[in-house]
Amino acid sequence: MNVIFTAVFLTAAVIFLIADPEGFLPALLTGGEKAATLSLSLLASYCVWLGFFKVLEQSGLAGKLARAISRPLSALFRSDDREALALASQNIAANFLGLPGAPTPLGVKATQKFLAAKNAYAADMLFVLNATSLQLLPTTVIALRAAEGSSSPADIFLPTLLATLLSSVLGAVLVRLTAGRA
Amino acid sequence: MRYAALIIPALFVALFLYALVKRVKLYDCFTAGVKEAVPLIVSLFPYLAAMLMLSELFEASGLSAAITRALSPAFSALGIPPEIAKLVLLKPFSGSGSTALLADIFSAYGADSYIARCAAVAYGSSETVFYISAVYFAGSKKNLVKPVIIALISNFLSVILGCLLCKIL
Repeated sequence: MNVIFTAVFLTAAVIFLIADPEGFLPALLTGGEKAATLSLSLLASYCVWLGFFKVLEQSGLAGKLARAISRPLSALFRSDDREALALASQNIAANFLGLPGAPTPLGVKATQKFLAAKNAYAADMLFVLNATSLQLLPTTVIALRAAEGSSSPADIFLPTLLATLLSSVLGAVLVRLTAGRA
Repeated sequence: MRYAALIIPALFVALFLYALVKRVKLYDCFTAGVKEAVPLIVSLFPYLAAMLMLSELFEASGLSAAITRALSPAFSALGIPPEIAKLVLLKPFSGSGSTALLADIFSAYGADSYIARCAAVAYGSSETVFYISAVYFAGSKKNLVKPVIIALISNFLSVILGCLLCKIL
């Protein structure tokens, strides 16, 4: 991350220096502003979903869900940490249902637990599964198409599901194949 | 797709009723969950800020446009229309940027055109990889090169597949 950050930042900064020195600071400030507003809207959705998931946890439903799929899950993540696996299973379920904002707090907590247990493999796996965006209903896209007057806004459902399913499988296979290597 | 809107309220009703049966103190429990939101956001904020400043620089410096131009012949060779190359390259960096671009493509080509359908699938089947990596691995010293590359490869494959599937389906 340090390498990517430095390389992109410096290249962009040099371009600004030559082509548009006055545009540099405003671009940075726009980024900062976006971080501030995004944090607020993330905070709002974390409030909703962390409240929801706490109820899910205390009602015992989260544990049931995790037990139901614990075997395939612990094989997938190579982990026996019940709590982390429960979080990961909820993260995947939330992704699949397309609950906006819900997967992130769960995924972050599960990743922290995996990393604390020095299980980098599980952290990579969870990250890749999140990054390949396995989703039942691409709600944003469907809403946008409907707004632009599509005659059947949901007809991209099947190709999207197939493409994202295959990319998730490929991602998981690649993580598994490269396990143990930096 | 009206029934999609039912999912979230139905989930809340079902869970709260179940919790009630299990004698969970709903107010205490819900607020205990919300309490975790602030420390979580605080721990993510520095990484979020650095990442968004970086993606802003990437976009505003013209670096992103230059890379798009350089790569679009290669994209065409793989069956990805050039109009979509920019979307594919922007998506890993910027969620809001790529949503805006998707809306532009829809209005420029019509929401039911092949290009628009391809764009919809490309958008829906990939994720803001750099943003997620910054958030998920916030503060860890872990090497991120491998997972990020795997995620980018997988997302790229789903775009190629999506463009292909849009031709058939």
